[in-house]
Amino acid sequence: MADPLTFRLKNIIVETLHLEGIKPEDIKDDEPLMGSGLALDSIDALELVVKLEKEFGIKIGSSEESRQALSSVTGLAAFIRQRADQSRLPS
Amino acid sequence: MPFLADQVPVRVVDCGCVTPLGDAAKTCAALLRGERALQRIPVAGGEGGDRVPMAMLPGRALDETSPPAWGAVVKKLFAPVSGPAWGTARRPIFITSSNFGVGSLYAYRKTGDAGHLTYGTPFACADWLRREQGWGDNFSIFSHACVSSHLGLVQAARMVAAGLAEQALVVAFDFISPFVAGGFHALKILNADFPSPYMNRATGSIGLGDGAAYAVLAREGGDFKILGQSLHNEMYHFTANQPDGAGFDACLAPLAEKAKSQGLRLWLKGHGTGTLEAGRLESTRLAEAFPGAPLVGWKGSLGHTLGSCGLVELALAIAAFRAGRTPGTVGSATPTFAPAVALEPFSNREFDAVLCSSNAFGGAHAGLLLAHD
Repeated sequence: MADPLTFRLKNIIVETLHLEGIKPEDIKDDEPLMGSGLALDSIDALELVVKLEKEFGIKIGSSEESRQALSSVTGLAAFIRQRADQSRLPS
Repeated sequence: MPFLADQVPVRVVDCGCVTPLGDAAKTCAALLRGERALQRIPVAGGEGGDRVPMAMLPGRALDETSPPAWGAVVKKLFAPVSGPAWGTARRPIFITSSNFGVGSLYAYRKTGDAGHLTYGTPFACADWLRREQGWGDNFSIFSHACVSSHLGLVQAARMVAAGLAEQALVVAFDFISPFVAGGFHALKILNADFPSPYMNRATGSIGLGDGAAYAVLAREGGDFKILGQSLHNEMYHFTANQPDGAGFDACLAPLAEKAKSQGLRLWLKGHGTGTLEAGRLESTRLAEAFPGAPLVGWKGSLGHTLGSCGLVELALAIAAFRAGRTPGTVGSATPTFAPAVALEPFSNREFDAVLCSSNAFGGAHAGLLLAHD
């Protein structure tokens, strides 16, 4: 069974960025999100970070931290688990 | 797009600026002392938010007033070039800004006070400025993010060189607002850290600053000559440069050739916002184009004055020549991306010219080569 946070993050990526022709299950857990893989760019990162900060109540401090957080869905999930109030995580 | 005034030299016969540290001479003196104008201010003004580095004119709040508080500041700055002699067929005006009165538009949205709309759109803002200064109707508006004032300088120089204008006035202004600060903050490049231009560190950050400037260009007069200007837009990505630096190279190449052919001894005033990748690319490409020339950036003190930065920093470069010393890269330390980054002030008595370069979102690059008589 898929990890609920990972599942939620993939949905957020597809919905927030309006990724046409891509379904949440198409995104691989360890696929790079920036540059290669999904090839998200800095504007995509901006939109995602704003959404993630609101949904999970986390703070991302710099653009470098943002890139690090968005390394992959697995990396992003770990980043959020470290920083978010556990009550805001999907179960 | 190089514009090299080989046949008809265009001269800067008057130039001034205002920053939170004062006029051009006072700002230059403060930079020479290593003073930093930036302070940590809540990003959303009266609504609070994270504290981020911003440099604001004394007495000005981030939340816009009606009329804007910066109006009195630019009126005083532009006093030497006010009146109906400007904005005529032979003395056109080029009004440049990145944001014009967007702070007023934002204030209107927040308060519903329609008075803010008088200054809100680019044309409304420029026309208000024109009426306040008593200028005529012959003015053009240029805006292209952080190379806005360079576009005005190029167009003004062309008019003068072509004999279509006896003198041309370029004005530039940008005053920060919660709207603009919020945008950079959302990008995470405006964060809690003070900027350190060209410094190779773990995270990058910029600061934002208030700034305004003007320059009068003509064929004769003054003791500074524009040897060439260059514009290039690499059209690679909205917020990123081509990774190999080719966009920088394309802009710098004609100016480097010009400087080399004349055997000029140059110092470089770079853009240097404090972001990492752009800082690395800019400083390494400048070092390649102008080997050995010392590079400085002043946004570690003044913050990024956005579309006005090219003209504000040109006025400061002229002030530095007049003072005989060039301020160092305030706010930075070793290690830097390129060895030519000058962290401390240095004497510019032995230098003939300065290259002033700016870069902008959208992959726009601009350079201006200015020689001292």
